[in-house]
Amino acid sequence: MTGTTIARLDTAAAVAGLRALPPEAARGFFDLDPVTQNDALLAKEIDRTGVQLYSCGETLLGCRPNPDHPRQAQVASTSSAPEPLRALLGSLGTYQRCTSFFALVPQDSPVAAAFESCGFGRVGTLPEHLFHSGRYRDVVIYYATRGDTCLS
Amino acid sequence: MPFVTVRHYTEADIPARIGLLREPRFTANLIDFAVLNDDGTLEARQRRTINELHDSMRIFTLCGPKGVVLGYAWITSIDWRSQCCELSFGILPRYRGAFGAAAVAAAHAYIRAELNMRVTINQVLEHNTMLVSAQSLAERRQVRCEYDSYTVGEWRTACYWTETEQDLARDLDRMAERRREIADRIRAETTEQQ
Repeated sequence: MTGTTIARLDTAAAVAGLRALPPEAARGFFDLDPVTQNDALLAKEIDRTGVQLYSCGETLLGCRPNPDHPRQAQVASTSSAPEPLRALLGSLGTYQRCTSFFALVPQDSPVAAAFESCGFGRVGTLPEHLFHSGRYRDVVIYYATRGDTCLS
Repeated sequence: MPFVTVRHYTEADIPARIGLLREPRFTANLIDFAVLNDDGTLEARQRRTINELHDSMRIFTLCGPKGVVLGYAWITSIDWRSQCCELSFGILPRYRGAFGAAAVAAAHAYIRAELNMRVTINQVLEHNTMLVSAQSLAERRQVRCEYDSYTVGEWRTACYWTETEQDLARDLDRMAERRREIADRIRAETTEQQ
């Protein structure tokens, strides 16, 4: 598999992928947290929220269509590299006709670099939105249209 | 203090924990239901905890160096909104002296730093002085409940108390002191025998 080929994962494979990641990469990925959730709870949350999960090399990617705006998707990545995220955005544009994207990224997460490289802008902050490692943390909201991501 | 880590309890851990649930001091000091149930029933209960009861009960495996299993901690009566829960421990017999206090500290640290719990509720049967001395138990208890539990043929009195982060720091110091006292006593007895 090349570095930019994405493959859809079933729930069990996604859970195994999340469990194998370092906690700092996995935490905040669609509110999933391998540190506080066991495998069964991760699987339950993936199924409950309808997140679609993909792999791209060792990177995990996710998307969830906005039910109130079917051409908009929430996206997430576990890597700071832009290539896997770009591949996901391309796929969503091509196969699901998505025209805009947003992401919720914990403050100081290395993953933020991938969104900024793919043309996402910071449009807001949710103060003290997430708790882990003994304190509350801000979460940054990123947004991009398909044009911003240079995929159109 | 020895290094102890906390990980999620898995189905692979079930057989060893069933063994602990039937260990004589565990049955006397905590609960003896495992003696009355077969392996299949106990296994089914724990599988249900792992797979379904995330909101009301969670079990964790406490590990020492190289991931060796030292014992287990579990939280029950979880009140997520009030950020409190009851915390219980079962340490494997061969690791109780060396790792007991460190295991308690690690479990407390995990549920406070990662699960955002502020207050834990402790229950210790009064005759159980493995981790808390009789004197310390008398000082700490906020509720003393006679006829609380019936284990191994006897009614047991239980002591209950709540614990904040500040309380915990003080109690861990006392626990380390208790460990030193026991070690000194064993050393003295050994010297007398020689």
